[in-house]
Amino acid sequence: MSEISRVGRDRLSERGNLALVIAIALACGFVLTLLTSAQPLRAFHVLLTGAMPEIRWSAQGIEFSRVGRLATVVEETITLSLLGLAILIGFRARQFSLGADGQFFLAALAATFVSVKLGGIPWLGFPAAMLAALLVGLVFGAIPGVLKAYLSCNEIVTTLMLNVVAVQLYRYVITTGFNEAGAGFLVTPRIPAALLFAPLISGTAITAFLFVVPLAVCVCWFLINRTVIGYEMRVVADNPWFARQAGIPLVRPVILSMALGGAFAGLAGLHVSNALLKQLPVDMSPGIGLEGLVVALLARNDPKIVPIAAFLYAYLKTGAQVMERTTDVPKEMVLVIQACIVLCFAASTLVEFQAGTRLRDLMRRGRRKAASKAGGEHG
Amino acid sequence: MSRAALGPALAQAPDTRVESPGYALQLERVSKRYPNGILANAEVSLGIVAGEIHAIVGENGAGKSTALKLMYGLERPDSGSIVIDGTPAVLRSPRDAMRLGIGLVPQHLKLVQSFTVAENITLGNEPCHWGFIRSKADALESVEALCARYGLPVDASRVVGQLAIGVQQRVEILKALRGKPRVLLLDEPTSLLSPQEAEALFESLEALASQGMAIVMVSHKVPEIRQVAKRFTVMRGGRVVAGGIPGDFSDEQLSELIVGQQLPRFDAARKKAERAPLLQVRNLSVRTGAAKPRLADVDLDIAAGEILGIAGVEGSGQSALFEVLCGLRAPTTGLAALDGKAISGAGVRHARESGVAYVPEDRMRVGFAPGLSLAENLFSGDYFKRPQSRRGVIDPQAMALRARRLIARFGIRPADENVSAGMLSGGNIQKAIVAREIDARPGLLLAAQPTRGVDIAAAQELHAAIVALRDSGAAILLSSTDLGELFTLADRIIVLFEGRIVAHFSAERFSQLDIGLAMTGMAIDPRANGLLPALGANRALHGTRAP
Repeated sequence: MSEISRVGRDRLSERGNLALVIAIALACGFVLTLLTSAQPLRAFHVLLTGAMPEIRWSAQGIEFSRVGRLATVVEETITLSLLGLAILIGFRARQFSLGADGQFFLAALAATFVSVKLGGIPWLGFPAAMLAALLVGLVFGAIPGVLKAYLSCNEIVTTLMLNVVAVQLYRYVITTGFNEAGAGFLVTPRIPAALLFAPLISGTAITAFLFVVPLAVCVCWFLINRTVIGYEMRVVADNPWFARQAGIPLVRPVILSMALGGAFAGLAGLHVSNALLKQLPVDMSPGIGLEGLVVALLARNDPKIVPIAAFLYAYLKTGAQVMERTTDVPKEMVLVIQACIVLCFAASTLVEFQAGTRLRDLMRRGRRKAASKAGGEHG
Repeated sequence: MSRAALGPALAQAPDTRVESPGYALQLERVSKRYPNGILANAEVSLGIVAGEIHAIVGENGAGKSTALKLMYGLERPDSGSIVIDGTPAVLRSPRDAMRLGIGLVPQHLKLVQSFTVAENITLGNEPCHWGFIRSKADALESVEALCARYGLPVDASRVVGQLAIGVQQRVEILKALRGKPRVLLLDEPTSLLSPQEAEALFESLEALASQGMAIVMVSHKVPEIRQVAKRFTVMRGGRVVAGGIPGDFSDEQLSELIVGQQLPRFDAARKKAERAPLLQVRNLSVRTGAAKPRLADVDLDIAAGEILGIAGVEGSGQSALFEVLCGLRAPTTGLAALDGKAISGAGVRHARESGVAYVPEDRMRVGFAPGLSLAENLFSGDYFKRPQSRRGVIDPQAMALRARRLIARFGIRPADENVSAGMLSGGNIQKAIVAREIDARPGLLLAAQPTRGVDIAAAQELHAAIVALRDSGAAILLSSTDLGELFTLADRIIVLFEGRIVAHFSAERFSQLDIGLAMTGMAIDPRANGLLPALGANRALHGTRAP
């Protein structure tokens, strides 16, 4: 990596903070709105304020309406925080693993399945569902890790392809057996109430998961900064050649970073199944895992910032839904803004992933050497 | 500018330029402060005359590289001006510098290893026709013409990765010459070279100077300044402290100017080493593919408390030997054992756990993790062991304490364990690496070029640390392209040539001439090995000349 790009990256991480990037992205979005909408100012006003509750003064005192929208923001923040952490762990080991979507789908399905089957025994069903979600995420995350570590398969390709596999497997399971007869549409059986997270505020789906987020952030931070495996991840990410020379394992951090990321995605799956939806529709739309990518990028790979980034993103997303309902601008405008955010970070992030390429070369070379050695012994 | 016009500033920043209008390049009282607050250049004035080799001398961090960067447009001065051929110039980028006839040969070679010589030299400025890159033959032809014009022979069709370092550097020089510069800047050009290669470089530089080129060479080696520089400038702490003609100064005066104080001469009194070998290497070979073996039938011993020096032209098998001993590479045949336990062929961690520590030659690339903190870099050897970590959880206290202890003991600057290692200067990175490896209390220290590119004071500290480790009973294998370093430190020297031990000298038989002949393959003893004399290899202990 050249010194210049290193300096450039540092500068960007210092100054290119959350607010600036979002402001640039919003400005791009506004220009497009100006071009396409008959009422651009109103549309943008709705986008920016749609997620806020309305406060009215009346004879009875202060009255809040549209509180549900804010609840949606919070619920979404929880899911996106966990998915952001899932992507971030891979990033910190310089693995561009985008498999959060697939891990999330299968984990939600596994949690639902265990919950439905063990619904009668809550003391067992609850931890079992949690374990199922975590394990499925972990295992499904480890697959591309193993492929990368031992076969040098590019993790971007394998994770995106495994996402398709996961979503189709999810649909297959629900379509062919695990569904509620007589529901009128394809959906899993309902999770028994005993196994649902109870709402903290009635009328919303804000549950104890709200407290899981700071916990998950702490675990993630601790994992990266205070554990042996986190140290290995960071060394391998920063300079794989040094890691090799110092005898630091190269394979373990690659696999574990992706697998642990999968566990966080699994937690997000559990949140969606056992707190938000309570039963999973067959047509649950994929892509939320990639929103986790945007969150991780916005947070500049710092776990402490992830919840803030997730909140900002969820806020915009909810505002966009309101905007679509009430103005002539489609909610896809948020996709444009999302794309701008990704672009703002892409330049600097791509530089970081050059080191990932180095690691791949290194592993390839190691295997070639092993192969030539084996050949030499035969001959 | 007359000296009087400089006024009071003269006391701090003497203007060492001669009263002559023929400067190809001048710095006029340029200052540069980096964003981190370091004043790298303070009122630096110097002038480079066409047709002369001008050396800029100083320790690590004296501001030499910054002066060079200013001349090449990599940095812009905060104040002062750069004058090229009598006209003030603003260099916004290296492209401006190149356009104005300035070329740079960087210290760390920046070539694409998988490209050919011709591709590397034309990279970024390929011969084009209607906007398309023309055929490789054209590039080859133009590069061959370039080689011929400047008398620097290189096989332009070879892949750069297969060339010796000295030849690769010649490629860098040719690359700089392609822009037809009138001023050629070289940043520590001999730091990578063997004595013979350095000799060849100096001949090339003198030839270029005689064609009227102005050459600026950054260095911290006094002998080579004496040898090639017509004029020199000494920098210390970002300022010009002296300058003139090397012949006017004695060695002591020069080193005092560079270091700022008289250094006690380092004296590594040799101890009577034990006779029993601690490290035993037998019949070690490394063969890769069909090419010549990287290492062939190497036998050597090192006793506890002994330093075995390796001399040899770069690429003679030193790196293969080090890689095998540190566990990075499995030998094709043979084995190495430390204190009776095999260390080779079972991976780096096995070797390290058996007591091997390694100061790698290519430290900037493989020696440290620039994005991690200094403390985390000093931690890489045993982070997985108690008390550094327990049950997979790192103890930050232990990490910080270790870092502070090593920073204090080895004088690493800045003395801040939380600074990211990439911010350290090259010399301090090397101190940190040596500190880490010595702190592992190794039974065998592999030190590959431990003081290359390090200033005099830091080199002495590193030498003292290595000798202290020797005295504590470790075996040390030391390679160096600086024979003086081997003569000072080693108890015995083996010479490697084409992967074989071709000569073996004990301390009382060290001779620059004999070792030089063996290094270049002109005096080979086919029976030479590196075994301890007590083990019945007496005859091999004479550096014999070929009949």
